[in-house]
Amino acid sequence: MASGLAVNLDRLDRFGRFLENVALVTLLSGLMLLAVSQIVLREVFDTGIIWADELVRLIVLWLAMMGAIAACREDRHIRIDAITHLFPDRVIDVIRIGVDVFAAAVCGVIAWHAHRYLQLEIEFADTVLVDTPAWIAHLVVPVSFAVLSYRFMVSVVKKIYGLMYEESQVSP
Amino acid sequence: MILASIILVLLAIVGAPLFAVIATSAMLGFYREETDLMNMALEIQGIGDLPFLAAIPLFTFAGYLLSESEAPKRLVRITGAFLGWMPGGLALVSLAACAFFTAFTGASGVTIIALGAILYPALKHDGYPDKFNLGLVTSSGSLGLLFAPSLPLILYGVIAEVSIDSLFLAGILPGLVMLAMLSIWSLWVNRANRKPVGTFSWKAAGAAIRESAWELPLPFVVLGGIYSGFLAVSEAAAVTALYVLIVEVLIHREIPLKELPRIMRSSMVLVGGILIILGVSLASTNYMIGAGIPQMLLEYVADLVTSPVSFLILLLVFLLVLGAILDIFSAIVLVVPLILPIAAQYGVNEVHLGIVFLAAMQLGYMTPPVGLNLFIASYRFEKPIMHVYSATFPFLIILMLSVILIAFWPGLSLWLVPSS
Repeated sequence: MASGLAVNLDRLDRFGRFLENVALVTLLSGLMLLAVSQIVLREVFDTGIIWADELVRLIVLWLAMMGAIAACREDRHIRIDAITHLFPDRVIDVIRIGVDVFAAAVCGVIAWHAHRYLQLEIEFADTVLVDTPAWIAHLVVPVSFAVLSYRFMVSVVKKIYGLMYEESQVSP
Repeated sequence: MILASIILVLLAIVGAPLFAVIATSAMLGFYREETDLMNMALEIQGIGDLPFLAAIPLFTFAGYLLSESEAPKRLVRITGAFLGWMPGGLALVSLAACAFFTAFTGASGVTIIALGAILYPALKHDGYPDKFNLGLVTSSGSLGLLFAPSLPLILYGVIAEVSIDSLFLAGILPGLVMLAMLSIWSLWVNRANRKPVGTFSWKAAGAAIRESAWELPLPFVVLGGIYSGFLAVSEAAAVTALYVLIVEVLIHREIPLKELPRIMRSSMVLVGGILIILGVSLASTNYMIGAGIPQMLLEYVADLVTSPVSFLILLLVFLLVLGAILDIFSAIVLVVPLILPIAAQYGVNEVHLGIVFLAAMQLGYMTPPVGLNLFIASYRFEKPIMHVYSATFPFLIILMLSVILIAFWPGLSLWLVPSS
């Protein structure tokens, strides 16, 4: 049972990483090509796409959120990290469980309020890029924070599991 | 309120992700002001409203590509060909090459890993003392922060709403002063061993130029494009990224195509980490400005500070402490909006302020307890962290002197900036 769950979680994990990579590669390549083609259009053909600048900025927002999710998976979020070198690993693990629960909760709260804001945008039919509904562009915020919350919880569960496993190794 | 602040600071110190701490402080602020927390979403979406921000992912990607290719080796070789004939040549070569590379890769520790790995053994081979080499390589990892197109310069421009073009110009002389002071010191320390790497030869120089022929135009594309008014900063970044991609993947063929997703991912991990902090800081800044925190700070310091000079002294002390705790990107997005209005009160130019801010924060890379470069060097060269501290210390002192010089000599920063 437990191992079946672990296998499935692992699969989900790899699928998630794959999705992130697809999103990051697409967004970054798109950003690069869009910005360069905008220069070519302007300098060579003396024209331009009217919404290109706005799209560039939205891509940056998407890249930021997707990058934040990827950073979470690789445990690369910026932390002050002043105590890691002071305490033994076990103590650090326990502290990290605590702060990651905190991070998961904060991300959950932001995801919830971002979701509420999105409802409002739908209600008021806000638009971006001339006539695209704004909620499509801004969907990335609640979804990303929800995923961040989930990822922090996964890392918490993994750490607890790791601690328990170590315990049974140390004291038979 | 005070209790909540203390808990938040504690959480940050024990290693909670910084964005979560800042977000919480913003949300607590909104809650107290009875502002709907939906505003959080609005503020975070603000990442998508800032001009020129696209420069950050694009330059970061270009920097990661360069560091994964053979470009660092070529950079060392061409610097060696042109500076190697001087006494103490290799030390100077190291400083110059690192500064140049950091400007392009944004001082995220990539320099120590990419260039340090080449320079550290080379310095040792040329008979420089080990402690000096370690200190040199570690402190060189953040040298070049003041040169265009470094990420902190761009981020400061975006946050402070200062012309990024002006910042690029303003960084040149202070950056050169830092470089010169470290060079003079390196020559002095190694006065017994001022061995040139070799004599200058047109043949070697020509070969090095040919070898780097594809990368040499880069600085001219970036700076030339921006100053001719041809390209905006974010456009120059896009051109740089695409150009580097074509050169390293298709022309030099040093990066296989299948490695690209990994490199894109690792560069965007850094960008995501920075920009999410930017997003939540937009919220906390907005709350703090709404609540009049800058004015309160101003009243508070008004007793201590009576002149621009005393303001700068206080600022430097504050930044040195801040730099020891906070990384440069978080410090910019969190602190700059608060000190800008205060600096303006004392008549400190905002471009000059930016240069002072970054120069002082650069020291943070090598001050304990969180100096990033110390840890990277300790890890990379397998030396105990205390050993790296003490090896870096003299370099830290020299850089501190240069920061004081930069702070109290505004002309140094502003000389090249066209007054508007």
